[in-house]
Amino acid sequence: MGAHKPKRIGFKLDMTPLVDVAFLLLTFFMFTAKFKSEAESEQKFQIKRPVASPDTAKLPERGIALVKIGIDEKGDTLTYFAVISEKDRKAIYTAQGVDPAEANNAQVTVRDTVTLANLVLQTRRTNPKIKFMIDADKRVRYGRIEQVMNTFRSQGATLFNFVTVNRSQQG
Amino acid sequence: MAGADLGESSSKKKKGGGVKKPKRIGFKLDMTPLVDVAFLLLTFFMFATTMAQPQIMEMQVPPDITTPVEVAQSDLFTLYVSNKEHLFYNTGIDPIMRKIDIKDLQALAVQKNAERENDLITSLKVDPAASYATVVDILDELNLAEGELVDSYKEKNLKRERRFAITPITEEDKAELAKVDI
Repeated sequence: MGAHKPKRIGFKLDMTPLVDVAFLLLTFFMFTAKFKSEAESEQKFQIKRPVASPDTAKLPERGIALVKIGIDEKGDTLTYFAVISEKDRKAIYTAQGVDPAEANNAQVTVRDTVTLANLVLQTRRTNPKIKFMIDADKRVRYGRIEQVMNTFRSQGATLFNFVTVNRSQQG
Repeated sequence: MAGADLGESSSKKKKGGGVKKPKRIGFKLDMTPLVDVAFLLLTFFMFATTMAQPQIMEMQVPPDITTPVEVAQSDLFTLYVSNKEHLFYNTGIDPIMRKIDIKDLQALAVQKNAERENDLITSLKVDPAASYATVVDILDELNLAEGELVDSYKEKNLKRERRFAITPITEEDKAELAKVDI
């Protein structure tokens, strides 16, 4: 220990640039943040979407009706019907077969294909512009998807979409 | 600094009697709590955001009509997915089911379509026990092939008309599949 540096007492660092950058990032993340929807917080499962090649078509934020098919932690396959359109939601959930206790929820449980058919028909009657989406877990058996597709078809909803996730961003 | 000093002195002269607080020069504010809160919020939002935005794959099913449509057998190109998630194909002319890897499907679909221009009807038959992920993989490969075909047709000034359908698998198909799928 030859040359001993004097300890810097009362050393001050200018934090301004740091704060500038921090706030910039903060505002960026605040504006881009998308939170879990009401519907997602109600359901008991998380959907692991199948992967597909990058596509320009992104999932629209509103004006859609999602048929969610997921697997919960017990291994049971559950189906939900979620309308993402504030003004039409209540009218659609009056469809026959829907549990009246769920009518005010963001999404309703679908117990059988008849209920699903009623919901699809009610959606088409309420707002024909609503696009149908199948948001299914990748582990779901194809038989389930086929059932849903047949129901769509029987109700005249021949155009619909599968919700997927970009191969490069899978997670 | 000099500017601030000057401004202060000139205002004093004009206003005369008014009690004015002296401007605080070299005023320092402890920014640490501010930075703490800012970073806390920053980390919160960073973790809360989901970067992977879902995308959609368009699908069309034929309307529910009971009258069957007559198609030429030679135009058929059928893909089968067995309950073991294996992919097979055959054509109307060559009914022997051949196994194929999903990753080779794009090239095959392009080749089959090139042979028969717009006439080829691709249909997909999936065993209900197969997983949804496999189906999406196949649809994705077919979509990629479609993109390639549209491009090649554009060069020839032809209009591409896609003829594709997902059709229900029959018991006979299943029996045939069971024979080849070991």
